[in-house]
This record gives sequence, structure tokens and C-alpha cells, in this order.
Amino acid sequence: MTSRFFMSDSESESDSSEEEIVPEPPGISSSVFVFSEDEDETKRVVRSAKEKRYEELKNIIKNIKNYKKNRDMASLLSSFEDVCRAYSKALPVVQKEEGGRTPRFYIRCLAELDDFIQSVWEDKAGRKSMSKNNAKGLTTLRQKYRKYAKDYEADIAVFRENPDAPDSDAEVEHDEQEDDSDDDNIMDRGPAAFGKEVAPSKTTSKITKGSEDEDDDDDDSFDWGHDSEDESSSSDGDGGIDSLRKKFLKDKRERDEDDLKRRKKRGQREIKTKDEESDDDVGWERVKKGSSMPMEKPKMFGKDDEINVTSVHKKLNEIMAARGKKGTDRKEQIELLHELLNVARDNNLGPAIYVKIQFNIIMSVYDYNPSVSDPMKTEFWEKVLVKIDELLDMLIENPELTIGEQVTEETESLEKTPYLVRGCVLTIVDRMDEEFIKLLKACDAHSNEYIVSLRDEIRVCAIIDKLLKYKEEKGMPADICRVYLRKIEHLYYKYEPRAAKQAVGELPTTDDTTLAEMDRLCKYIYVRDNTDRLRTRAVLCHIYHMSLHDKWYEARDLMLMAHLQETIHHSDLPTQILYNRTMVQLGLCAFRHGNIKEAHNALLDIQSGGRAKELLAQGLLPQRQHERTTEQEKQEKQRQIPFHQHINLEMLECVYLVSAMLIEIPYMAAHEFDARRRMISKSFHHQLKNSERQSLVGPPESMREHVVAASKAMRNGNWKQCRNLLLNDKMNAKVWDLFHEADRVRKMLGGKIQEESLRTYLFTYSHVYDSISLVKLSDMFELPYSTVHAIISKMIINEEIMASLDEPTSCLVMHRTEPSSLQSLSLQLADKLYNLVENNERILDQKPFFTRGMQVLAVGTVTAGKRATGETVETAETKTSTAVVTEIKHQRFAVWPRKGAYHKQLMACLPLEPSSKGDWGPHIQQLATHPASYHLSMFLWYTRGSEGRELDVWAPPLQSWFLCNLQKTEAKNHLKCYYVSRL
Amino acid sequence: MSSGRGKREAENGRCNINVVQLEGLALMKIIKHCHEEGAGNTEVAQGVLLGLVVDERLEITNCFPFPRHADDVDEEDYQLEMMRHLRKVNVDHLSVGWYQSTQLGNFITTQLLESQFSYQTSIEESVVLIYDPIKTARGFLSIKAYRLTPEAINIVQERDYTPEALKKGRLGFETLFQEIRLVIKNSHLVNTLLTELYEFMPGSEGKQFLDLGTMSTLDRQLRCLMENVDDLSQEANKFNNFQRQNAKQLQDKHKFMQKRAAENAQRQARGEPPLPEEDINKQFKPIAPLPRLDAMITSGQIYNYCKQVSQFCSQSLGKLYVAKALQQEKK
Repeated sequence: MTSRFFMSDSESESDSSEEEIVPEPPGISSSVFVFSEDEDETKRVVRSAKEKRYEELKNIIKNIKNYKKNRDMASLLSSFEDVCRAYSKALPVVQKEEGGRTPRFYIRCLAELDDFIQSVWEDKAGRKSMSKNNAKGLTTLRQKYRKYAKDYEADIAVFRENPDAPDSDAEVEHDEQEDDSDDDNIMDRGPAAFGKEVAPSKTTSKITKGSEDEDDDDDDSFDWGHDSEDESSSSDGDGGIDSLRKKFLKDKRERDEDDLKRRKKRGQREIKTKDEESDDDVGWERVKKGSSMPMEKPKMFGKDDEINVTSVHKKLNEIMAARGKKGTDRKEQIELLHELLNVARDNNLGPAIYVKIQFNIIMSVYDYNPSVSDPMKTEFWEKVLVKIDELLDMLIENPELTIGEQVTEETESLEKTPYLVRGCVLTIVDRMDEEFIKLLKACDAHSNEYIVSLRDEIRVCAIIDKLLKYKEEKGMPADICRVYLRKIEHLYYKYEPRAAKQAVGELPTTDDTTLAEMDRLCKYIYVRDNTDRLRTRAVLCHIYHMSLHDKWYEARDLMLMAHLQETIHHSDLPTQILYNRTMVQLGLCAFRHGNIKEAHNALLDIQSGGRAKELLAQGLLPQRQHERTTEQEKQEKQRQIPFHQHINLEMLECVYLVSAMLIEIPYMAAHEFDARRRMISKSFHHQLKNSERQSLVGPPESMREHVVAASKAMRNGNWKQCRNLLLNDKMNAKVWDLFHEADRVRKMLGGKIQEESLRTYLFTYSHVYDSISLVKLSDMFELPYSTVHAIISKMIINEEIMASLDEPTSCLVMHRTEPSSLQSLSLQLADKLYNLVENNERILDQKPFFTRGMQVLAVGTVTAGKRATGETVETAETKTSTAVVTEIKHQRFAVWPRKGAYHKQLMACLPLEPSSKGDWGPHIQQLATHPASYHLSMFLWYTRGSEGRELDVWAPPLQSWFLCNLQKTEAKNHLKCYYVSRL
Repeated sequence: MSSGRGKREAENGRCNINVVQLEGLALMKIIKHCHEEGAGNTEVAQGVLLGLVVDERLEITNCFPFPRHADDVDEEDYQLEMMRHLRKVNVDHLSVGWYQSTQLGNFITTQLLESQFSYQTSIEESVVLIYDPIKTARGFLSIKAYRLTPEAINIVQERDYTPEALKKGRLGFETLFQEIRLVIKNSHLVNTLLTELYEFMPGSEGKQFLDLGTMSTLDRQLRCLMENVDDLSQEANKFNNFQRQNAKQLQDKHKFMQKRAAENAQRQARGEPPLPEEDINKQFKPIAPLPRLDAMITSGQIYNYCKQVSQFCSQSLGKLYVAKALQQEKK
């Protein structure tokens, strides 16, 4: 054990070479440099300005290379700054000598630096393990480089196209060193890095792949055969290199081979040590050892150290102190904790410390995945399950051990009973559950993978059950509530056939079903919970579960009692989603029970916007107006419900549309001529309109088409066709067979269709009947006589049809009082005219501005309007009964509210009783000369209906009066109408 | 007919047409065109009338239709071409107006007004013939000739449909169009033929006008009427709002004036020059008065509908009486 840590220390000199990003092994190439540098120094005495400047630059570049090898970021940064400065000094020379072209070696330096920075930056683990100084240097360097490199982007790009071409100057030593570094890089970096070198333009794609590559390296970091292959290929690839290079190639090869051997040996050693220390789990051994061990890494106990609870605890704290810090290698941390666990176990330090370490291991595993939205890896997941199980077992086995959040660091008691350990098992299990959901969401819902993942649910449930048992024994009510809710959330969406059997009576009521369990759990939460959220969720799950098991009345009552509708908008989104799911389930339950209206109301909100998918969190809808940001999309994805809890959307829509049809079609039939008919269901109307818009309506294919076709059949009272369109093989497969008691639902639906078709039929065709035999109706609709009787009675009571039942002949006698289409149109027109007159009179009221010309216009339109109403109503009334006339009369009076004064005058000149028969002369005289004779005629017309008696008495004198006014077409028409109505 | 190559009265500014004399041939061509084109769809059929002015009588002797979908053909070229061809065969080739089909008398529109205006300003004596194919199918030949009244011409020329202008121009919806008496005239030869044909006509033909099924027509007419009433109502509402705004502005203006007057009086007392009163117009920009053209046209249309409904009802009632008498006879 200790050796391992020592070993890793001894490795530190070369540990960088183990990492994929480290460019060159130190020592080798630098010696080459030193040599060549010396040569340079001695040879050149007189140098041109260009040479001088270039020399300077090259020196700094060499330094940079050295620092790169050493990964000394701070010095690298300062060198970089130097080189920038030096180059700016050299710029005039460059302008002169090279014609403004940036020298190639400089660009090469920049490009390499770029690669280096990028690779170091990408290696997150390596970055973490850097010293503070270095890390800071790296970030600054990266920023500075970016700023600086902008000016040379074009040049760098040109360079990258052909990186291996020789630099313009006598850059031999440069080149060699280049090759050196290249090949060494390849050695060290593995395929990913190699690819980067060969095709630098691909770097962007590499960045995304980087993490994968890293993982690969984790697994086969000792796969050397791989690298040597790369090496050879790389030397193949670097074909067109000048001869000078070849000279070096040979001894480089030798060097490389040496290197290889050395490494192999080291690798074996490492594997060996690993095997020695490996504990039960193989999955954990894949962790790469020795890589970027931080220098400040805590050491495990020395051989002579006394191992007791305190020291282990201290150690643990030390390890955990690194948690969450930037430079911490999470893998290694887990590793260390395992180590510690073994120590604790070997030394029998008591359950408390063991539990504590276990606990921390689990936490560290959770921490391993830095991104919240990604699921953890399967092997970690498996591990966590096992660990949590172990932890719970231990907790149950050691009743004297208390674990809880209320225990502070100070009050922890790890050595003696009663043990007190700080930590929260609940949180761990909660987190586990979340991870499980994430894991499920990460796989394709239709693949086998999903099913395999889903199998773990049993284990998850077992753990929750175990926790539940543990908490029930010794836990606070609040904690128990939380566990219960966990349990509930795994229960509520599952249908248990046993519960259905129990309801029928096939199973004894004493049997424990999920229903009973839900009841017990939820009731506990209702009583004990003091956070609203848990209770709300529990209620919703409870309702959901009951609806699922066809406990309609219980579910409905609970929903009504909970009063969630008012407050649900203030709760968090997952709860709102749960609410939506519950409402849908409740609606489906209502439908199965034949409560069509309730079903429609429950589903209306979900279905109305056409966003059911989104509201139930069963998938993302493309947004029309604006794109989501990736952040939003991530959030939405997180909210999604895992596939196995989905509610079938097509079934949902079908149930909704069928409910809407059963309500809307009779309503449409009843209010055909209504001006302001309200739509009950917009989406249903939308479907109807869609089908109307089609030029050719073929036989129905989809569920929607079936429903629309059925609606049309029902509109004509053709219930058989309607039923056949809804209940056929196609629809069975699509929708109805998805219900648990499909046959019962189908029977219910058939019955409903018959009843509503009967109603529709009566609404639509009652005006062609004087009377209908109920027996005949019951034959037509194949409904029992009593049902027909009940439906019709209900319609009569609700004043939906104006008719009465004639019991002896069992007939429905129509009163024929519904206005015909023309009459209702006239009524509508009267309404509109009333509005118009109102508007016009308002114009007239505003005298100060009003001009005479307008007055003429306005009055003109009013008279036009008047004519229209007067005359149309007459014709409409050629076929009316008294009831409608009275109604129209009311309308009429409403139209001319301001003519009240006239009416009074007119009433004054009309005798209430004829003084003696035939003595009408003076009155007629009076009437004929009256200036308002036109209005009078209208007035008489209105009053005619209700005061028929008087009219009869008045008939002869009126007739003669009308005859006096025959030149007025209006009067003539009134008279005609009068006679027609008397026919 | 062609003998009196009547002198046009265009010289004295306004030509006065009292009667339109329609040749049977032209009428038949109109009917044919409208029935062919207007059958089933809501599009209107249009064409050019050809003829002459004789004193105060406009004689229409021939016509030809506009091409239906004349996207590629230039309409003016087409017309000129047609007229040239007709001249070659020695037919009257002077354009004297145009005709248009209608449904249920919904012809009073802005387009009609505009087209008739352009006709009447370029060719003084132009008329528009409105032909109703549906009514004709029911047994009542319905063709009417209309012209814009001089008042209407004046107003349209100005393009000023403010209430003030309408008042000044004494234009109301009733005086927008004037209907001109229309006589159908056939040559003696044709008349002879007709009397001969009449002999051959089976007894059951030509009795459509006794059809009692009146509901659907009335229904449609009512619906159209309702639409127009709605429009008019809206117009009235708009006008109402405009009035209110205007009144408010007037009030504000008044207040401002008073204040300014008081201020000026004070200034005068102090011996300072009075503030100018011109800037009031800058402060209160007059609200653009509402054009009343739409309202007027809608009113005219409603008036037209009402006349039709009224006429239709009288006819229907008559028929009902006849039917009743027949019923009693049967008993």
C-alpha cells in the first residue's frame, strides 16, 4: 500500500509523460538544444540585424519549448510575453527582409503553442492537478495567446495546411527538434493526439471527442502496442522531410525504443501493484493510477502509524477536504476512500467509522460526474446500488448507530456506542432515485437497453423498502414522509390487476394490494407532513392511483377536497406536471365510468392547446416562434417523465374527442340557428373544420378521422354508423384495447352513442314531426322504452324541446314553437338592427358637432333598417305561432325604445272598447289623419298577437282604416300578413 | 336605328339620358355570357356595351364580354381589337358603358362606383347594366340600367368623402346612383319570330314564376342583409368615436382659447404685447374626418336589399293567395 504511494511519488518526474497531452519527455531533446545552441554561439561572430533579431527570437522559442516540456506554465507565460516583445522589435527587419511575411519558424512556434495550450486546457484532470501558480499561468497564457494569435490567424492557417514543410531559413535544428517532439508526442498521446498533430485542422472536432478519448485512455492506458503502431505510421506520414532529418531519425528511434522498454517495465510494475492492492471490485481497478497525482495529496498511513478510529477519521477528513476543489482527481479520491474503508475493516474499527466511510464513498461517486444532466456510468450505478444496499444493511444490523443530519461534526461519536454519525441516508437514496431516472432517460425508450435498465427498478424499490423499514423503526415523521413519498412515486403509476380482482370480489378484501398500501402511505403523509409539497404530491399520486384502478368516486372526491386547482399554478414544475398527469388519469377514469362531461372537463385543459405532449412532459414540441436556448432545452429535458410512466397520447386524444363529440354534436343540433353559439370544444371543432376543408373525404384512416366521421354520422342521427366507426378493429387496436376493461368501456360507449344520437335526432328533425311514437323511437335506436322515455322527459324538463308526452298513446307531441331558420334569422337581424339604431342614435345625440347632411344620411339608414325589419318579419311570420310573435314583439319594442311616446299617444286615441258595433267612424277619421299613422300600423301589428281577442273585435274597423291608407305599401303588406296569419 | 346618328350632347357639358333602349340581341348575349360564366361560382361576369346616343335615348345594340382571366392579355388592347373587328362587320362600335352580373342584388360596391365613374368621365353617356341570373332563372327577367348622378360624379371627382363635402354636394345613399328606365326593343322581324315561337312553346313551360318555394332565397337575402347591417353598425361606431374625439378636442381647444384670452387681457393690462393665437392650430391638429363612402355604399346596398326583400315578399304573398284560392277550389 505504502509502496504504491511512494511509487507514485517516484513517478512524478515522468508522470507527465503518461498523460496524453504532454508533448516531450524532458531531458532528451533539451540536450540536443544545448548542443546546437553552443555551436551557434561559437560559430557566429558577426551577425546582421536580421540574424541578431532572429537569433533572439529563436532563443526564446527554444525556451518556450523547454518550458512546454516541463509544463512550467508560469515561465512559459513570461517567455511568451518575451517572444512577442522580441518579435515586435524584429518587425522592421522582417518587413525589410521577408517583405512583410511573418517568418515561418515564428508561426510554427505560435501554432505549436496553440496546440499545446489547447491540449493542456482540455485535459481537465491534468489541469486540476496543476499547482496554483501553473494553473494561473495557463489561463493567462491562454487568454494572451488568443488575443495575440488573432493577428496571425491567416498565417497560422497557411502553416497548418502544410506543417511539415521546412522553414524558410536554416532551421535545421529547429526541424529536428520538431520531429523529435512530434514523434514523442505520438508516443505519449496515443491515437487522439496523433490525429491532432497530423490533421490540425480537425482540432475542433477533437475537442468534442476529447472526453471520450480520455476515457479510452483510462481503460487502456497501458496498451503500448497501439502506440508503437502509431509511431511507425507517423514516420510514414512524415514522408517529405529533408535529408538532414533522416540522420537524426535513427538515433531517435533508438532512443524511443529505450524509452519504450523503460515504460513497459514501469507499466508492468504498476499493474502488479494494482493487482496487489485491488479489493473485491474489478470495476474500480480501471482507474488510472499515478496520473497527475497532486503533490499535496494526502498520504496513507505509514507502516508504524497507529491505526485507530481517530486517525482514520482524520484521514477521511483530509481526503474529503479535497472534495469539490478544482484540482481534485475524483477518481483517485474514490480510490483513496476505498483504501481507507479496507483499512477500517481490517482493523475492526467499529461500524460507525465504516458507515461513515461508506457514506463518503457514495457521495464521492455521485460527485464523480461533474455535469448534472448527464447520467452516471453504468458501472458506477451498479456500484452505488451495491454500496447503498450494504450501507442500509449495516444500519439495520447496528441499531445502536444513529445517522442523521442533526448530528454535527462535533457531536459525532464514532468510537463508542451509541454511535452518532453525521449524514443523511435519505439524501443518498433520493439522489440514487434521481440518477436512476436520468439513466432511464438517457437510453432510447424503444431499445432493449431501456428494458435492461428498467430491471434495476426492482433493486431501487428494494432499497427504498429497506430504507422505509429502517426509518419506520427509528426516524422522524418528516423523514418517514419523505421515504413514503419516494415509495409512492414508484407505486402510483403501476396498475395492479389484483386490485381490480379485489374490487370484483375475486380476491378477499383482506389481501394487501397496492391500493391499500397507497392509502396507508398517503394518509400518513396527510397527517404528518408539514411541507405542502410532499402532501400535494402525495395527494396527486393517490388520486392518480385510484383513477388508475377505477375508483372514480373516491378519486373525484379527493380531487375536489384537495382544492389543488387554485394553488397548483404556484407550485414547482414537476408537481404541475404531476397534476396534469393526474387530471388526465382522472379524466380517463371518468370516461371509463361513462361520466362523459366530467371526462371532457378534466381533459379540456390538457388538450385545448394541442400541447398535451409538453404538458405531460412526454416529449419536446418544436417551438414555432422562437428557438429554445440550449439551457432551456436542457431544463425541459430534465423535466421529462421516463418512458415507462408515459400516458398514451393517442388514447388520451381519442377519449377527449369522443367525449367532445358526445357533448358537442347534440348541442350543435340544438343550437343550429343560434347566432351566438358557443363552442364547447375548440379542438374538436378544429378537427371538424379540417375535414370539411378537404375536397375529398376518403374512408377514415387515423383515429381522428374515425372520430370526425363518427361525428358526422351522429349529426344525422345515424347511430349505427357512428358506433361502427368508433368501435371497430382498427380503433380497438389503437385505443380501446388499451383500457383494462375494454369490453365494459365499449359497451358503455355504445350506449352513450345511442342516447346522444337519439337526442341529436330529436333536435334535428323534431320540426318535421307533429308527433313521434316513443315505441318507434326505441325501435329505431334499439334502446329500451324506459330509457327513451327518460331521455325525452329530461329534454322536456330542460326545455330543450318544446313538446309534451302523451302517455296513453305513448307519443311525443311537438308544440312546434321553435322558430324556423328564417324566423331565427329574422330575430338575429332584429338584434343587429337594434345595435345599429343604438349606434345611430348615439350619433344623433352628439348634437353640437352634428351637421345636417349627416342627419339626412343617418335618418336614411334608419328608415332603410326599419323597412328591412318590418317587412322581413312579416314574411317570417306567415308561418309562425303566437309564441314567436310575442317574442318578436318584445324584440320590436326593444328596437324602438324611443317611440314610447308615440305609443302612448296612439293608445290614447284608440278606444279600449268599441262603444257600439260599427261606431268606428270618428276613430278611423282620427287615425287616418294622425301624423303617426305609419307607426300606428306597426304598433297594431305588434300588439296583434297577444291581444288577439281585441283584434277580432277590431277587425272590421281596422280593415277599413287600413283601406284608407292603401296607398302606403307598408299598410297594405301588414294587412296581407294579417290575413295570411288568420288563414 | 343607325339612321339617327345622333349628335352627342357632350358639347354642353352634361348629357342627359332618360331611357335606355336595349336591343334583344345584346340582351341575349348578356344573358348567355352571365349564365355561362356566373353559373355556380360567385365571380361576376362583365362586358362592354356598344351603341349610340339618340337625343336623350341611349340605344344599346351590341355587346361583348371581357375575357375571364386576362392575365396575359391587355384588356384595353382586347377591347380596341374587338371594336375594330366589329366595325369591320359594320356593327355599332362605340362603347357606351358596361354590364355586370349580380347575385341577389349585391352590386353596390366601391368597385362599381369607381368603374362607373371612370366610364362616365371618359364616355359621358355610359351606363351600367346590372343583370341578375338567379332571378331570371326564377322567371323574372331582371336587368337594370344605372348611372351615377351628377352629384355623385362631383363628389367622386373630388375624392372627398367627408361629411361636410357630402352635405355640400347634397349626396346621400339614395342619390348615389340613378336608375334609368330600360326598354327592350326588337325589330319587327324578331317580333314576328317570337310570336311564331310562342305557338311552339309547350304549355307547361314558362310558369316558374309561380314557384312557392321561397324560403331559401329569403334566407340568403336575410343573411346578406345581416352582414351589411353589421358593417354599417361598425361604421356608425367608428363615426361615433370620431365624433367623441372631435368633441373632446373642441372642448380642449375652447379651454385653451379662454385661458389664452385671459392671459392676453392680463398682459394688456401690464402693457405687454399679447401672445399670438396662431399656434393653437399647431397644438390641436384637427382630426382627419372620417370618409363616409363605405357607410354610404353599405347604406345603399342595404336599401337595395330592403327593396328586394319587400318586392319579393309582396310577390310571395300574392302567390300564397293564389295558392289558397286553388286549395279552396279543390275542396
